[in-house]
This record gives sequence, C-alpha cells and structure tokens, in this order.
Amino acid sequence: MRISWIIAAACSLTLGAAALAQTPPEPAPGQEGEDGQLVVDVTGGRRAALPIAVPHMPTPAASDTPAGNTQALGRQVAEIVANDLRNSELFTPIGPGGLNAVSFPQVTAPDFPYFSTTGAQNLVQGFVQANPNGTLTIGCYLYDVAAGSELTRQGYVVAPRDWRRAAHRCADTIYSRLTGEGAYFDTRIVYVSETGPARRRIKRLAIMDYDGANHRFLTNGQWTVLTPRFAPNQQTITFMTYQDERPRVMLYDLDSGRTRPLVQQPHMTFAPRYSPDSRHIIFSMAVNGNTDVYRVPVGGGAPQRLTNAPGIDTGGSYSPDGARIVFESDRGGSQQLYVMDADGSNQRRISFGGGGYATPVWSPRGDLIAFTKTGGFRIGVMAPSGAGERILTGGGYAEGPSWAPNGRAIMFTRGASSGQLWYVDVASGATRRVPTPLGGSDPAWSPLRE
Amino acid sequence: MDRAEVTGFGVALAGHAALLAALTFGFTVAGNPPRLPPAMEVSYIEEVGLAAAAPVPSAEPAAAAMAPVMGPSEDAAPTPTPAPPEPQAAVAPQPRQKAPGTRGAAPQTRRRALDIDLAGVSDGPAPRARAGAPAAVMTGQAAADIGSAIIRQVQPCADRQIDPGPGASRIVTPISLRLNRDGSLAARPRVGAQRGIDDENRRYAQRVADLAVNAFVSCAPLRGLPQDLYDVPRGWSNFTLNYRLPG
Repeated sequence: MRISWIIAAACSLTLGAAALAQTPPEPAPGQEGEDGQLVVDVTGGRRAALPIAVPHMPTPAASDTPAGNTQALGRQVAEIVANDLRNSELFTPIGPGGLNAVSFPQVTAPDFPYFSTTGAQNLVQGFVQANPNGTLTIGCYLYDVAAGSELTRQGYVVAPRDWRRAAHRCADTIYSRLTGEGAYFDTRIVYVSETGPARRRIKRLAIMDYDGANHRFLTNGQWTVLTPRFAPNQQTITFMTYQDERPRVMLYDLDSGRTRPLVQQPHMTFAPRYSPDSRHIIFSMAVNGNTDVYRVPVGGGAPQRLTNAPGIDTGGSYSPDGARIVFESDRGGSQQLYVMDADGSNQRRISFGGGGYATPVWSPRGDLIAFTKTGGFRIGVMAPSGAGERILTGGGYAEGPSWAPNGRAIMFTRGASSGQLWYVDVASGATRRVPTPLGGSDPAWSPLRE
Repeated sequence: MDRAEVTGFGVALAGHAALLAALTFGFTVAGNPPRLPPAMEVSYIEEVGLAAAAPVPSAEPAAAAMAPVMGPSEDAAPTPTPAPPEPQAAVAPQPRQKAPGTRGAAPQTRRRALDIDLAGVSDGPAPRARAGAPAAVMTGQAAADIGSAIIRQVQPCADRQIDPGPGASRIVTPISLRLNRDGSLAARPRVGAQRGIDDENRRYAQRVADLAVNAFVSCAPLRGLPQDLYDVPRGWSNFTLNYRLPG
C-alpha cells in the first residue's frame, strides 16, 4: 500500500511538472495579426461625465433683434447648450463663465492648446448672427480637443422667437454625436400642475419646454385633470378629466385650444394613450363593474374591446411598431403586467415579482418597458419578455414614468402629497429634478419637435 | 516476500524513480527555449559579404508628422444640413483648412505630461542600428516588448476615454496605424471593421471608433521604440491597435 502511494505521488509529481512545463504562455502584448502585422490590444476607459467646454458664442456684429441683442443671445445660447448637456447627466460642461472669450474668426479655428488646459475633451463653439431678413443664424460646431479636429457642425436659421429651440437643437447635435444616442433636448413636457391644499387641490394641464422654459397653462383648473399624453404628431393631447364629477377621456387641440370628449359614453373612461401613428387611442372603460382596455379612432367611432378578463385591465401602452400593447391587470389576484397583440389576442403575463406593477410604458426603442413598482413605489424597467427587471429610483415615492423620445431617459413624479417632476438616466441611474413653477405630476414627454 | 524479491522490487523502484526524475528534468528543460548567444557585431568584407544582409541607415530625415484626423474629411467638415449658416465671405467663419503637415508640431505641444517609466529605453527614439550590424529580426519576444511599450504609452490616454453606454464594451475597434521613425503618425489612423456590434450597442459604434482613435493620438508620438525594428517584417512602422472599453 505504501509503495503504491509513493509511486502514485511520483507519477503525480511527474505529470504535474510535465503539465507545468507545457502550460501555454499568457498572450503576449504584441502579437502577429492575420496579415503578419504587429497587433496590440489596449483596453481602457471609464464611466464618467464627459468634460466639455462651452464658451460664450460671439457675434460678427452686435445687432438688436426682437429676441434681444445678438451679443446677449450668444451668451444665452451657450448657457442653454451647457445646461442641456449638464441635465443629461452624461456631461460636465466647463463654462461658459470663466473661459477665455472666443472671437468670431476663432469659431472655426479654436485655440486647442488653451482648451486642453481646461481639462475639456471636447469643445462646443458657435455664433449668433442677425440676418437682413429678420431671421437669426445660430452656428454650432463640435471639436475634439485632443485630436484638434472638428467632429460635426450645424447651422440653424430661425425666427427670433425660436432662438431657444436653435440652442436646444445645437445641444441635441452635440449630445447625439458624442453619445450615439438619439436627441431629446428640443422637446416639450405636458404635465399636471398642482397647487393648494390636498383636499382642494387645483390641477391644471400645463406645457413647457423640457427644461422648464416657455411654461404655460392649458386649462384653468375648474376641473381636475389627470394622465395627459402627447399625440406622436404633437397636434393633440389626450387626458382624463373629472368634468361634472364624471371621469372621462378628453382631447385637447394644441393649435385651437379646443377640448372635446374622445367618446360619447355613459361609462367611466380613463388611462388614454395614442397609437404610434396617432390614429387610434387605447383607453380603459368600466362597464358593469368590469374594466377593460378599448381602442377607438381619434376621430371618433365605436370603441373596440381588446380585453375581457374579469377585474381591472388598464394602463395600456403601444410598442413603438404598434404591433403589441402592454397593460396592467389584476386578473391573477395582484396587479401585474401583461402583453398582448394589438388586436387583443395572445395575452400573456410578463411580470412575476412581489408587490404590484402599474403604469407600464413601452420604450420608444422598443427594448424596455418602464413601470411603477407599487410595492414601495419605485420606477423600474424590464424587457418586453419580462426579463431583466431593474429598479431605477431609490428612496421616496415615485410613479408615472414617461420616456424621453430617445429611450435613454425617463421622467416621473416624485412625492405622494406634493409632487415634483424628476428625471432619471436609464443607463446610469443618475437623477435630477425638473423645475416647475408649482407642484407637478403625471409628466408626458413629447416626441422630438419637427 | 523473500530476499530476492525485496532486492528485485528495490531495483525496480529505484529504476522507476530514476526514470521519472529524468523525464521530469527533461520536460522542464524542453519547455524553455534555448538561450541564444548574445548578438555579435561583425564586419563584412565588401567583396564577400551579402550587402543586402546589413541594414543601410537612411540618410533621409524622417517624414514630417501628419495631423491625425479622425475619419474621412467629409465627416470632419460636413455641409450644414438643416439650415446652414449663411456665411458672408468677409466675416463669417470658414472651415479651417487642414493641410497634412500643417500641424506637424502639434502633437509635441499638445502631448500630455507622461511620466512613464520605460525601463531601458530613452525618451527619444532608440538608437538605430549601426552600419554593418546584422539584420534585425522581430522575434516573438521583441514583438512582446514593443507591444508592452506601446501599451504603457497608450494606456493613460485609453483610460481617459468615457464609456458611452451599455454594451459599448463589447465593441472591439481595430485601428491601423502608420508611424514615422520618430514615433509620430505618418498617416491618418484608419478604423477597420469593428467586432462585437449588436442591436444594443450599435448606436455607440461610431463613438467607440472615436475613442479608439483618441486613445492613440492623445498619447502620440510614441517614444523609445527600437529603431532597428521599425521597418522589418512585422515592424512597428505599421501595426494594428485593437481598442475596447473595459467590461
């Protein structure tokens, strides 16, 4: 027995030594490629906000316009661009204040050595020019500081009243070029503005630019309003109102300011949302104690019932291709998310976690569904299959997600009693508050403006 | 077991042990490449020596560095699309004319302060082989050493690149680099076919290509690479850098 052990140990030692001697070496830093060239692999990078310099934008000749002097506009445009990039949580703008002044000829010949000393990796420059026909030209240039090269440029000829939109479009150009994501700064938010004590809360429809500018009220607060949603073509808004103590879905025409009911029904209607082609609206209607999801043409007509299970089916939201609908239902005993084809067929449950799920919204990219996790009230996302559930918001009451048109960010309501609008970057989880003059809830993000 | 059996068994055991030891020693030795004798410098006699075997140092100066420009020039200065500015000839800014070589000194002035400890190499280009020296060969070890030297110099700039979003780390971007003898870029970096692109990260592909080029040009010119291995087969005059973000 002992001898056998010694032999076995000796064999093990031998084989181990042999194996050690034959262990393949680690890959060398310099290898030979298929074409016989030297090949070097480098892995490096970090997750951080991108430092980008945004100096004030000069003007070729100071001119007074209805929007203000072009010199002042140059400063304001730069500030809007910097704020937009900062708001995205993906950039750390440097300036406009504190940076060297940029002359008009320098707009296309940047002082790269100077900007490299600021720590900026990229640089935004531009100009504001008053044109003889009364329009403004706002030029926007993006540079790579280290490479000393221009990455992209855009110019916008706008009426003076649209100078802020041109600034947002400039920021959109920068954002898209440097992140690969779609644009979203030139957008609007419709939401429910809230003021007054809880028992006599005045709720009005309000609309503003995504950054809080150009704020105005659409309704006067006579009737409580809830769940406003933009039509994809941005011509109308649908929402629910308690007009005459009866909840029903309304349509608001953004051009004329007129309001009309979506359907003429004696039943309670609520939770409306447009189809991607703006031609239909799905909504919930309570008939004989059972609430189902219905679809109706925007122009009116007989509603078509899409669900028929006992219980409450509500909160429908189309996939971006219009082929499927996600909705919430308590048919299984608790509030969960379900997906069905657009004609109501093939209904299947996709959420199975503890607590309830509500207010599902399909991402404009189609890859995720945002929802409110009602156990604790958090905002989360999951794949349309139900896989990969991820909670995005931390402590504090949060509900009612609405996607940015690029599918990268979500706006939602934070605070149960006194609501505020907040924003979360889906990839990083970074959040920030969206300014509103009063309290706010139920935000709905518009598509990118045309 | 009688005495004869014990003796026989002992002899057999000793024999096996010796055999195993020999095999172990033999394998270990076989795993290591034989040491090459140190290189000798010899003088060839003109009439007899193979003239082509000895590198002839070039009397020409290194080519002027070219401005590293990412992507095709059309991308760098696109035509304003939605509503282009209406530049006035006298005052409106014009796109800067980029001529190769006009920024030849720029890499030096913009170069980051890199305190890289390149053991055994000088800050400038390594000395070139003297006339009459044997032709240099890019061995596996030399390639590994050069690869390490390149990585040491590029890594700080690679680490500064910012991950644009989920899945971007799966994209591998090869860039083809052509260098001058002084380590500066001799031509624009060329971005090759990226690998690892899928539906989730496709939107980041162009940005990752930017980062790959930036990772190199921000730390260019390279220094301290052996001059005698510049333009040999697999030399560092042309090489491919595969860049990726950390996962």
